[in-house]
Amino acid sequence: MTGRGFLRDLAIAVALLVVLLVLPTVVPHPAMRDFVIYVIAYGLLAMSLNLLVGFTGLVSFGHAAYFASGAYIFGLLMQSGKFGIPLAMLIAIGGTALLALVIGAICVRLKEIYFAFLTLAFQMFIHSIILTWVSLTGGDQGLMGGIPRPPFLGIDLNNGMSLYVFCSVVFVVCMVIMRQVVQSPFGYTLRMIRDNPHRANFLGVNVVRMKLAIFVIAGTMASVGGIVMALFVSGAYPEFGFWTTSGEAIFMIMLGGTQLFIGPFIGAILLQTLNHYVTIYTEHHGLVLGIVILVFVLGLRRGLADFVYLWFQDRKTKQIEKEAGR
Amino acid sequence: MELQALAGCLSSVSCTVMQVSTGLIIGMLLFLVASGLSLIFGVLGVINFAHGSFYMIGAYFAFSAYQLTDSFTLAILSGALGVGIFGMVFERLFMSKVYGRDVLMQLLVCYAFILILDDMVKILYGAEYKLMGMPQAFALPPIQVGGGFIPSYYVFMIGISAVIGLVLWLGIAKTRFGKVVRAAAINPTMVGALGINTTLLYAFVFGIGSLLAGTAGALAAPIRTLTPGMGLSILIESFIVTVIGGMGSIVGAFIAALLIGLTRAFGSMGFPLFVDGMMFAMMALVLIVKPSGLLGRPVH
Amino acid sequence: MASKNSGVTRRKILKGAASAAAVGAFATTITGFPHIAGAQAKVIRIGMPTILSGRVAILGTSSRAAVQLAVQEFNAAGGVNGRTVELIDRDSKGRPDEAAKVTRDLINNDGCEIIIDGEASSGSFAVHEVIRDLSVLCLHTCSESSTLTADPKLHVKTAFRSARQGIHDAVAGGKYASAISKAKGLKKWMTCSPDYAYGRDNTAEFIEYAKVFDPNIEVVDQVWPKLFQPDYTENITKILQVRPQAMYSALWGGDLVAFIEQSNLYSLFNNITFFSGGLGDPPVLTAIKNLPAGLNTVYRYNRFFPNKPGNQAFAEGYNKIANQEPTNWSWQNRLACHFIFEALKRTNGKTDGAALAAEVKGMELDSPFAVESKITMRADDHTIIGYPAAWGVTTSKFPYVQDFTAPAWSEILQLESEWKKRKGYA
Repeated sequence: MTGRGFLRDLAIAVALLVVLLVLPTVVPHPAMRDFVIYVIAYGLLAMSLNLLVGFTGLVSFGHAAYFASGAYIFGLLMQSGKFGIPLAMLIAIGGTALLALVIGAICVRLKEIYFAFLTLAFQMFIHSIILTWVSLTGGDQGLMGGIPRPPFLGIDLNNGMSLYVFCSVVFVVCMVIMRQVVQSPFGYTLRMIRDNPHRANFLGVNVVRMKLAIFVIAGTMASVGGIVMALFVSGAYPEFGFWTTSGEAIFMIMLGGTQLFIGPFIGAILLQTLNHYVTIYTEHHGLVLGIVILVFVLGLRRGLADFVYLWFQDRKTKQIEKEAGR
Repeated sequence: MELQALAGCLSSVSCTVMQVSTGLIIGMLLFLVASGLSLIFGVLGVINFAHGSFYMIGAYFAFSAYQLTDSFTLAILSGALGVGIFGMVFERLFMSKVYGRDVLMQLLVCYAFILILDDMVKILYGAEYKLMGMPQAFALPPIQVGGGFIPSYYVFMIGISAVIGLVLWLGIAKTRFGKVVRAAAINPTMVGALGINTTLLYAFVFGIGSLLAGTAGALAAPIRTLTPGMGLSILIESFIVTVIGGMGSIVGAFIAALLIGLTRAFGSMGFPLFVDGMMFAMMALVLIVKPSGLLGRPVH
Repeated sequence: MASKNSGVTRRKILKGAASAAAVGAFATTITGFPHIAGAQAKVIRIGMPTILSGRVAILGTSSRAAVQLAVQEFNAAGGVNGRTVELIDRDSKGRPDEAAKVTRDLINNDGCEIIIDGEASSGSFAVHEVIRDLSVLCLHTCSESSTLTADPKLHVKTAFRSARQGIHDAVAGGKYASAISKAKGLKKWMTCSPDYAYGRDNTAEFIEYAKVFDPNIEVVDQVWPKLFQPDYTENITKILQVRPQAMYSALWGGDLVAFIEQSNLYSLFNNITFFSGGLGDPPVLTAIKNLPAGLNTVYRYNRFFPNKPGNQAFAEGYNKIANQEPTNWSWQNRLACHFIFEALKRTNGKTDGAALAAEVKGMELDSPFAVESKITMRADDHTIIGYPAAWGVTTSKFPYVQDFTAPAWSEILQLESEWKKRKGYA
C-alpha cells in the first residue's frame, strides 16, 4: 500500500512539475514566472508550518525565523564568493536545521499556548539580532548589493527561465519529501500526538523527541522557501524574520485549510492572488484583507480546500444514504 | 556594559529618584494595557491580539474629543468608554464566534481587526503624525523630588493608573461581581447553571479589558505620537508583561509591568544596548522555568 | 474495496480541480490586464513602488502627491511628442520582497517604462537589484543611504538617486554645528538616535565632521532608542543625568515628534543646544504642539528656502492636492519628475532605459530647489548635488524654521571626495 501510495504521489509530483514547466509556454510572460516563484517561496513556508500546525497540533508563531535564517545564511555564503549555489544551499539548510534543533529542544517541551509564545519570543530575538548585527547582516537595509548567481553544472540562474525551472524543481522535491514524511509511520505517529498525546505516550511514543524531529524538518523546509526568496529578490531582509511573515504563513494555512496536504499551498496561491489584485486596485488593502479574513473565519469557518473537501465528503455521505434508503 | 554608570546612579539620590520615576512612567501605562489583556485571557480564555489596536483607537478617540470639546476630562472619558463599548461590540459580533475553537481562528479574527483598524485610522485621520497636545492644567515646571525632576503630567498619569489598578483589583478580589468573574474563569458552566448570564458577563469583562487599553491610549495621547500602526509596539510589550506576570493575573501584570519599566529605566544606564534583548530573555526564561508566569495559574 | 478506490479517485479529482483552479488563477492574474508593448503605446507609464500603509505611510502619500502634481502639469503642457505620462503607484507595505515583486510587476505586467522608487532603506536596495536585472530608468527618491550610489560595487547603469545623501548632510551639519560650538564653547556632546543602520551611520558621520571642524568637541555619551519606540523617558532622564552642553539626534518623523514633546515636559532644551537631523520637515514641525524656539535643524523642506518663485509655486500647487505643506520626500520626487521629463524631451519620447539614462547622467537642471545655480545629477555616481544641504533655526511662527545657512557646495564636494577615498569608493 505504501509502495503504491508512493508511486501515486510520485506520479502526481511529476504531473505538478510538468504543469509548472508548461505554464510559462501557455502564458509566456515574465510576470507569470515571478508570481509562481513568489508562491513557491511562501508556499514552502506555509506547507512546512502546516507540518507543525495541521499534522502535529503544534501552533508555532515563530516559523518565519527559519525562512529568514535560510535566506540570510544562503545570501551571506554566496556574497562571500567562496561557495557554489548547491553547496551554499546545503549549508543554509543544515545551519537552519541546527538552529531549529536548538530552539526546538527548548520549545517542544511546553504545552500548547506556551509553545506558541516561546516560538514567538525566539523569533523576535532572532529578528532583533538581524537588526542589531549590522556589520554582518546590514541591519535594516538587509544584505545589499545583490546575491551573485554563479553558474553551476551548466545552469545559469541569472537567466529568468532557468531560475524558474530551478525553483520549480526544488519546490516539487520538497513537496515529495514533505508528503513522504506525512505518509510515513512517523507521520501517523504525529497525527496521534496531535489527537491524543497521552495515548501516544502510553503506547511508548517518545512524544518530545517526535515533536522535536518534526520541528526540525519543518524548519529546514521553511529555510528552502527562504533560499528561493533570496534567489528571487537577490537579497535578504529583516522583514523575512518578522512576526508579520509568520502571521501571513498562518493566514495562508487557514485560507487553504489544514486537513489536506495541499491546503496551505492553495492558501499561498489564494493570498498572493488576492494581494496582487488588492494592491492594484486599492491602497486600503488592510481593510479588504481584514474583511476577507473575517469572511473565511466566521463565514466558511475553515480553509477553502477543507471547505470544498468537506462539501464533497458530505455530498458523498448523502448520496450513500440516499442509495441505502432506496 | 556600563555597570559603573549604573552603580554611580544608584548611589545618587537624584538619579535613583529620576530612574525609579521613569520606571513607573513606562510601567504604569504598560500595566493598564497588559492588565486588560490579562483579564480577558483569565476569564474568557482568549488572547486579544488586537489589544494594541484598541490602545490606538483609544488615543484617536481622545484626540477627536479634545479637538471638539477642548476638555481633557472628556477626552480621557471618551477614549476609555468609547473603546470599552467598542470592545463589547467586538466581543459579541466577532470574538464570541470563535470561542472554543482553534487558537489560530482567534488569532486571525484579531489580525483582521488589526488590519482593518489601522486602515480605518488612516482613512479617517490621514497618514500624518498627530499629537493631542498637553492640557493647560499641566503646563507646569517639573516637580522636584530629592533632587530629581518629575513632570506634573506624569505624576497625574501614574496616580490615575494606580487608582484604576486598585479599583480593578478590589473589584475582582472583594466584590460579589468579582467572585462571579473569578468563578466564571474557573468553571463557566457551573456559573451558567447558577442562573448567571455568562454571555453578558463575557461581553462585560471584554468591555472592561478594552476600556483599560482605551484609557491607556487616551492617557498617552498628549505625549506620544498618534499614527496608524502605533499599537504594534505596545502590543508586543504588554504581551511580554502578561506572559511574565502570568496570563490572567492582574497582580502579576502589575509586578511584571514595573519589572519591565524598571529594567528599561536602569538598563538604559547599565546595559543600554541590551535592554530589548533583556526583555525577550526574561520572557523566554519565565516560559521555560514556569510557563504559567510569575503569578498565573496553570492552564489544565 | 470499491469505495476505497472511489475515495482515491475523488481525491485525485479534487487535486486536479485544485490545480486547475490554480492555473486559472495564474492565467487571469497575468492576462487580466493588457501588456502594452513599449514604444508603440501612446501613454508613457511611470511605475512607483512606495510605502502607503503603516507607520511611515506619509512617506508614500507625500511622495505620490508630488509626482501626481508634476504629471498633471506635464500633461497639461502637452506631454512629449504627443505622448502623455501616467502614474501607476503600488503599496509595498514597507516590505522589501514586496517592493521587489511590485516593481517587477509594474515593469513586466503593467508596461511601466520608467520607475520612481519611493521606497526607504531596505526597500530601495531591493528595487535597485530589480533595476539591475530589468534595465529601465529608475530614480530613487527617498533613500538617503550613502552606500546606495556611492559604493561602486552597487552601481546600476540606469538607476539614479534624486534625494539628499547622508554624507552631504553630514558635512554640512558638521560645519554648521562647529561654528556654533566654537562660538558658545560647546565641548561636551551627546547623541540620541534610533538604533538602526540609518540612525547609526547618520550620527557617526555627523559627529565625525563636527570634530573635523571643531576638534574640541567630545562625545561623552550616546543613547540609542529603538526605531518606532513610543516612549523616550528613559533616554531623556539619562540625558538629564549626563548633562551635556549640546546634543545631536537623528530621530525623525513621529519618533521625533514624541521625543520633543516628552523632552519639553522635562524642560530638556533649556540648557542643551539641540541639533536635529530630522526636525526640518513640515509634518514634524506642525505635529509638535509646543515647538521650542532656537533648536537647530537640517533643512528638509521650506517654501521660503531657496527663496524662489518656483519653490513657492510648488508649495501652493502641492497644498491644493494634498492639503498640507510638502515634505522632504515631496521635493525630492518633484525633482525626480523634472529629470525624467527633461530626459524624455531630449530623447523625443523614446523610453529605452539606456537612452534615458544617458540623458539623465550628468544632467543639469534649473530647479527651484537649487541653492546655487543648478542641481546636477552627477555622472560618475548617479546622485544629485547642488540641492539645499542647509541648516536653520526653529521659530514659533509658520513656516517654523528660518535663518538657513548653507555651506558652499565646493566645500562639501571636497570633503566628500576625501571620504570616498577613505571608504575605498574612489
